Amino acid sequence: MSHGGKATTVQDRARVALNDDFLRNAVKFTTEKLRSQKRVATDELGNWEEWRERARAIRLHTIAHLDYYLSMFIENARANGTHIHFAQDAQEAVEITMKIAEAKEAKSVVKSKSMVSEELHINQALEAAGIEAVETDLGEYIIQLAGETPSHIIIPAIHKNKGQVAELFSEVAGETLPADTKILAGFARAKLREKFLEAEIGITGCNFAIAETGSMVLFSNEGNARMVTTVPKTQITYMGMERIIPSLDDLEVMATMLPRSATGQKLTVYMSVISGPQREADSDGPEEMHIIIVDNGRSHQLGDPEFQEVLNCIRCGACLNVCPVYRHVGGHTYGAVYSGPIGAVLTPRLNKDDLETSGEVSMASSLCGACFEACPVKIPLHDMLLYIRRDYVQEGIPSKMEQLAFKAFEHTVSDHKRFKRAVKLGRFGQMPLVQGGVIRAKFGPLKGWNSYRHTPALPAQSFRESWRALDAELQGINVEMEADMKQRLQEILAKRRGT
Amino acid sequence: MIDRNDGVIRELVEQAKAREGEFLDGLARRLNRGRITEAPQHPFRGAPDFWRGYELSGEQRVELFMKNWASLGGVVQRFADEDGLSDYIADVALSLQAKYLIRFDHPLLEGLELENQLPEVEMTVWQEDATEDLKAKAAGADIGIAVVDYAIAHTGTVVVASGGNRGRSVSLLPTAFMAVIRAESIRTRMGEVMEELQKRFGHNLPAGVHFISGPSRSADIENDLTIGVHGPGIVYALILDN
Amino acid sequence: MKVSLFITCLSDAIYPRVGEAMVRLLSSYGVKVEFPEVQTCCGQPALNSGYWDAARASAKTLIQAFEDSDFVVSPSGSCTGAIHHYYPTLFKDDPVMLQKVQDLIAKTYEFSQFLVHVLGVTDLGAHFPQKVTYHPSCHGTRLLGIKEEPLTLLRNVQGLELVPLPSAEDCCGFGGTFAVKMAEISGAMVAEKVDHVLETEAEVLVGMDMGCLMNIGGHLHHRGKPVRVMHLAELLYEGVKQRV
Repeated sequence: MSHGGKATTVQDRARVALNDDFLRNAVKFTTEKLRSQKRVATDELGNWEEWRERARAIRLHTIAHLDYYLSMFIENARANGTHIHFAQDAQEAVEITMKIAEAKEAKSVVKSKSMVSEELHINQALEAAGIEAVETDLGEYIIQLAGETPSHIIIPAIHKNKGQVAELFSEVAGETLPADTKILAGFARAKLREKFLEAEIGITGCNFAIAETGSMVLFSNEGNARMVTTVPKTQITYMGMERIIPSLDDLEVMATMLPRSATGQKLTVYMSVISGPQREADSDGPEEMHIIIVDNGRSHQLGDPEFQEVLNCIRCGACLNVCPVYRHVGGHTYGAVYSGPIGAVLTPRLNKDDLETSGEVSMASSLCGACFEACPVKIPLHDMLLYIRRDYVQEGIPSKMEQLAFKAFEHTVSDHKRFKRAVKLGRFGQMPLVQGGVIRAKFGPLKGWNSYRHTPALPAQSFRESWRALDAELQGINVEMEADMKQRLQEILAKRRGT
Repeated sequence: MIDRNDGVIRELVEQAKAREGEFLDGLARRLNRGRITEAPQHPFRGAPDFWRGYELSGEQRVELFMKNWASLGGVVQRFADEDGLSDYIADVALSLQAKYLIRFDHPLLEGLELENQLPEVEMTVWQEDATEDLKAKAAGADIGIAVVDYAIAHTGTVVVASGGNRGRSVSLLPTAFMAVIRAESIRTRMGEVMEELQKRFGHNLPAGVHFISGPSRSADIENDLTIGVHGPGIVYALILDN
Repeated sequence: MKVSLFITCLSDAIYPRVGEAMVRLLSSYGVKVEFPEVQTCCGQPALNSGYWDAARASAKTLIQAFEDSDFVVSPSGSCTGAIHHYYPTLFKDDPVMLQKVQDLIAKTYEFSQFLVHVLGVTDLGAHFPQKVTYHPSCHGTRLLGIKEEPLTLLRNVQGLELVPLPSAEDCCGFGGTFAVKMAEISGAMVAEKVDHVLETEAEVLVGMDMGCLMNIGGHLHHRGKPVRVMHLAELLYEGVKQRV
């Protein structure tokens, strides 16, 4: 399935997902598991709110001084022999990669997990040049064979069942493999090991870059990221330009927040701090290392007080795991590289020149705020979604009908007399539709809503119409407020007025 | 051909150097200011204060480390002296029917005289001036043995820095991995290790510093846990007192 | 002391009994409630859909209505949350209105907040011998921080058996215009919420937001389930009338 933002709508894709029972159960099971594991891990650590504040402070500080820390990183990375490149957009990143690949006469490339590489569609570019690009993260390997995109930031192939995986692997194996996890994983291990050993280039993402030491840090559980950075002669790393932290000390904080938020682990099995290619005395590690610093829309968030904080993100996926929308429809519904709440914000923000296509996904949220509550660096995603919707409307993108509807709304609510009349009109207009106190009709604006609900009929009198009678009745009853309650209220008022 | 290829790389690198100023200037501009030349105040550096006060006694650290490593699916053992350690490693190698071992070039490991204990086994030593293809040897090894620089009790982690006589492949490519840990190198928190790394190396870290917490794992296939996907599936933490 | 009722458009047009219950309860403590009729709606439907001019037009009626009030009480965690959390952003470019907004925020409370923190009432002496489960609306809990107040009030009701709602913190799928725009996703969310409600075997579902309750109640009715859906004010009022 492509990043089908143009051919299909969010609603279309959601419908497909909602009709896929396996997917729904898999997504629900996975997200609930990860959610509860996170809870256990954060309870065990304790003081989670203070840790969140700290992590947020470090990220805010770094982003606010991004030019400074990037400059420091570049200097220190060069000092340990790393080649640094800049890519303003996906095209530039691809060009640089292809030039390096060509210079290295690469025939095959092994990749560890990199969401940035998905932004670049680098696999397509490599394949087009006749270079085999192999995903080595087990989940990414599975979806690569299936020709699909990841449906979750941390566990990319949750929408695939064992049988489907067995089918995919069997094709590669040239024999029928059983739907047995151990055997399938064993096959992947053996197959991918061949690939690690023969590839000329290893391509990685970058969880964090450390300014003071010029290092890149990778968090992984399988060991494939370590393989990709140990075995091939040349390494290319894509680094989103915001993935930077000042020091190793700050890494401790990130290492405390990321694994716990993502999967509930105290630490991923491997945390690799890599500072340049192999040294003179080393016999392993890459001989040549390139870090491509990628912008691709990130700099557009800088200097914008409403959105700069989205660059805090450490890509843990905790927001996906608590999002009720994501839980029901999974990642493909979002139709882009990043899914879930962070995806709903990043997709329009990284593509703000085409808000018409990219902004639609920001509507797939009930604004419940669970994402903000879960975020280890306290990004107010729920607020950002609202701002994106406002920008979407300001650009005049919604349908004429919707714009008219809200013009009518504005007209009605700006004057209480009009509002009162509108309610009266509604009461009159609903008459043919009311049965047993409810409206079941499924047409017009009621269609979607009433497919799942019965709507209560407007009662004979609105509150404001019945107020006079109610007020009169209560005026007749003379209950005196108790003295201490009166004093309470007066104290609150006094405090408010600063007296 | 090689020269032309090197030339391409050099050109890319030069182009990047030429662009750097404009790239970073652009960021400063977006932040509505000029470029920063002095280090900004960073009062939130590292872990919160209350966390820095968390410190366990030596014995508590060992116990917590052992508990965490075991709960991650690793095997953990403690030894009063080198003889016990040496015997244990030999026993494990025999029980695993290991034919190929690879180890760091380290005086502690040298002193265990494993080659004598296991005459049938081919033992490769990761030496700086080795003539063999060490990576290939590691890939073919049944067990890799390293002496780790530090261990972290709080997370059940061992920390290994790479070097000429301590290849990172030793803890990655073999089927099983043995991490030999001197009890006194076990710290309570990761932050302590970070401090020591900075003290020891300044800002010039070795090419690879690896934090390893248990055996390789994945739950990517239908949420089923698999142990030993790309990295070693069998991992030993062997703690040496004294 | 001027205590004003912010009725909310939903309660005004569809659930006037909620407003009535609130006013009667407050009145029984000697609180003289006023209803400034200039108010229409907090503007959330427009705010949430990105139509901020329309939202501002709506918000202005509230700012005007409550300009002289000392306290403003509302039966909705979400409408109160909108005032506290979003009105400052809505009027950030208008310093005059922004000051009025800050004044409004300082005096506006959701109903359970008002009872517990302003009046200091946690036990109304109510009697309501039924099995009840409570849905903690997202905006009320996350934007306003209302976690304990409704539970405290419910726990003090005699005879009431309060059963916890599984996955209570999960959104019911209302989200205002979300339920119309993303109808199928919303439908899936409310179905799951109703499944959880039915799991409790409660006779009554209680909440602090008519948006949520209309949504959940509407689906319950659609599935033919006889669970009674009540606002906290309605439940407490009925409980007080049944006082033994």
